[in-house]
Amino acid sequence: MSVQAKTSYDALYKEFKGKAEALSAEVYRVPNMEEAHQLITKIIGELNVNKVVYAPSELVDAVDVKKIATATGVVMTSENLRQNAADAGLGISQLDYAVAEIGALAGNATSIESRMVSILTPIHMAVVRTSNLLPNLMETIATYNNKLGELPRYLTFVSGPSRTSDIERVLTIGVHGPGRLIIVFID
Amino acid sequence: MATGNLKKDINSALNNDNLTGALGRFGEAYLPAREKAYEGKDFEAIREKVSQCKRNAADNLEKLAEQFATQAVKNGAKVFRAKTGEEAKEYIAKIARDHNVKTIIKSKSMASEEIHLNDYLMKHAGIEEVAETDLGEWIIQLCGQRPSHMVMPAIHMTRGEVAEIFSKETNQNLEPDIAKLVKVARENLRNKFLKAEMGISGANIAIAESGTLVMCTNEGNGRLTTTVPPVHVVLVGLEKLVEKFEDVGPILEALPRSATGQKLTSYVTMMTGPTPAIDLDGNIVEQKEMHIVLMDNGRTEMRNDPMFKQALQCIRCASCLNVCPVFQQVGGHVYGHVYTGGIGTILTAFLNSFEKAGELQNLCLRCERCKTYCPGKIDLPGLIAELRRRTVKKEGLPMSQKLILEKVLTNRKLFHSLIRTASVAQKPFVKGNVIRHLPLFFSGLTEGRSLPAVASTPLRDKVGRAVPTGKPKAKVGYYAGCLGDFVYPEQGEAAYKVLNKMGMEVIFPMEQTCCGIPATQMGAPEVAVTLAKQNIEAFEKEGLDYIVSLCPTCVEVLKHHYVDQLKDDPAWKARAEKFAAKVIDFPTFVTKYGQDLKFKNLGTKVTYHDSCHMKRVLNVWKEPRELLNKAGVELVEMKGCDDCCGFGGSYSVKMPEISKAILEKKINNTTATNAAVLALDCPGCKMQIAGGIDAKGKNIAVKHTVELLADALK
Ligand code: SF4
Repeated sequence: MSVQAKTSYDALYKEFKGKAEALSAEVYRVPNMEEAHQLITKIIGELNVNKVVYAPSELVDAVDVKKIATATGVVMTSENLRQNAADAGLGISQLDYAVAEIGALAGNATSIESRMVSILTPIHMAVVRTSNLLPNLMETIATYNNKLGELPRYLTFVSGPSRTSDIERVLTIGVHGPGRLIIVFID
Repeated sequence: MATGNLKKDINSALNNDNLTGALGRFGEAYLPAREKAYEGKDFEAIREKVSQCKRNAADNLEKLAEQFATQAVKNGAKVFRAKTGEEAKEYIAKIARDHNVKTIIKSKSMASEEIHLNDYLMKHAGIEEVAETDLGEWIIQLCGQRPSHMVMPAIHMTRGEVAEIFSKETNQNLEPDIAKLVKVARENLRNKFLKAEMGISGANIAIAESGTLVMCTNEGNGRLTTTVPPVHVVLVGLEKLVEKFEDVGPILEALPRSATGQKLTSYVTMMTGPTPAIDLDGNIVEQKEMHIVLMDNGRTEMRNDPMFKQALQCIRCASCLNVCPVFQQVGGHVYGHVYTGGIGTILTAFLNSFEKAGELQNLCLRCERCKTYCPGKIDLPGLIAELRRRTVKKEGLPMSQKLILEKVLTNRKLFHSLIRTASVAQKPFVKGNVIRHLPLFFSGLTEGRSLPAVASTPLRDKVGRAVPTGKPKAKVGYYAGCLGDFVYPEQGEAAYKVLNKMGMEVIFPMEQTCCGIPATQMGAPEVAVTLAKQNIEAFEKEGLDYIVSLCPTCVEVLKHHYVDQLKDDPAWKARAEKFAAKVIDFPTFVTKYGQDLKFKNLGTKVTYHDSCHMKRVLNVWKEPRELLNKAGVELVEMKGCDDCCGFGGSYSVKMPEISKAILEKKINNTTATNAAVLALDCPGCKMQIAGGIDAKGKNIAVKHTVELLADALK
């Protein structure tokens, strides 16, 4: 990342972090794969979960989740997710873009793995490239619009954990989807 | 007139403390949340884009439906176009039977409520369970009620009630602890998600260009419904269509902000064709079955109606409900159908029953608040008035009303002499049924509101032509309005005083009469047209520079309605335009041309009530405050200064219970300021609020701004 690019991403990241945290998401940023690996290992170690499910993807593979499994002693799988995701403690998947203005992530979730690990588990960890930070929703829509022919079959936007205010308008986190959303930016 | 049933529903809603409490709290929290969500955004610009793309879609409805269907089929989905709700239900039942489905999970779909899909599937497709998965919907389903709000279906219930319902469902004794209750719902519904053979969802947007369906949820149930079961049915109404992928931008910017004050819902899902799924044995199904049912059910008829086509611009954000003073009092159930509130009344007319809607339009106060908030830029009050007009056209007015409107109101001399008679013999006349509904001050309904007496001498007998000292700056015609003429002549006298001090020559054209709004509101436009012509004629004779009135509704009618009412008659239209160009509301007139006025310091503590039509129709709210400050009052703003007072013209007579409940809130907000005087700029609001304050025995004077100005004149 050039110095110039870095400063512009610093600003977008800062904005994103503020907005996403206001929605109760937890946001981290690391400069490279190696540190991503370390951070995620540390987070999983602290989460105290037995089973982690993941959706294979370029970033998730690069982080080397298998090695994390050995280091932390958790079961790490991307198989048979109808069962495994239903009782796993954490799901890891990659999302493509981060929308600074509103603290939302966007990405292709066409693969069944990607969807299962991000909606059935009580905690979802999303990894995303810092260089894919976009300023706002309109630009995100425009980005997909520019490649409309390649629109993913299942395009998902996620901002904060699952929530409801259906009883007496009291905000409650974690209904059907995850109650925690951890976002890791990798430069 | 409301039937017995509607009245009964209204009364039970008003007496339901849970309901009014929950709605009231929500109503108060909604506005600041919405405001915050729109921070840094240009709402006007966004709603312009939203309404543009929705209007475009409505204009090309059939073309876009075809394009969407073709595209979705290309993407791998099966598309069925259902003309009616019946067709949609049969088709979905067939899919269920073909797959031997026993359990279904559903994620919020108003369209399925609209056609009572659940019921049908249980009865005709051998389905054992259709589980609603949205928490609010599930609560409603478990206790066999109907949703009371488009976005928050269970907003009318308390945690205690939910605990009871869940306890029964789970055979446990659950505490009324919201976090725990949500957990119970999660656990219970989780199993249903995992074993359902079919998922049914709705969609917020359907994009013709790409065949994409967009769905917004917060809980994640939408993602589960569209992901887990191997068969997915999307039931979507034609009104959800937009032409281009780009169009989702503005809609997504407006929808969550207007609906719940969020910048975006937790999850937005855009589906372009079927995706892989996992069957119950854990095998991956490369391409699940995706059925899209594109439903018409009255929407094309709506679109073919030149006036109601506009309603297709709705994005179902429900902000029109959230800001509606009536909704805040009575909730959604009195609307008796799936779609509630103002937009609900309109949708009900086309998607369900015109008769029912004809009755519901009576609930609207015409405070115009919804219109200023609607991101689809729909003229909801206008459409509701049109419904009223059509209902009257169909059913005719009750004889007594017809008589008054046609025989009395259009005969100025008779009308005015009757009012004069009333001032002499008020008691017996007030009880008489004949003119009860029309000149509002004759109403026999005094419950919770003292009605002012008709003045012994009307304004027209007290003032005439008044010439200022020195050369007159301009010639001003004074339009009094019924209340200003016969009930509150002192306001007119005060206005004369101020106008003269401004150097204006003031004239009272004697042939002026009722502005016509009661006739319009009651659905007798012909009568309104006659009155319009009488007034135009009366003022034309005088060669005036301006026409000033103290009543914002009269100004609205004189300035905006007449031209429209006479638009098909070129000669009259031209006269109406000339007339309208001279009409101006009092505060604006004084602010503009009364800059030399000198005031002494009144020093009184005053709070201000914004009249609906002054603030939202005429966009005048800074001016009266400026004038009050000049008059040296101590201005303290009350909570909800622009909340409606519940008057709404004949509304206070037709819906006295609701009107009274809304008034109560206004009075509480007024008293909370500890002001000695409540200032306002509408004789109707004065009648309502002063009456309420008097009935409550409170010691607050209610004054038209002009009275304070006249008092403070040096
Ligand atoms: S009519 Fe307007 S305010 Fe009401 S739900 Fe529709 S878009 Fe929202």
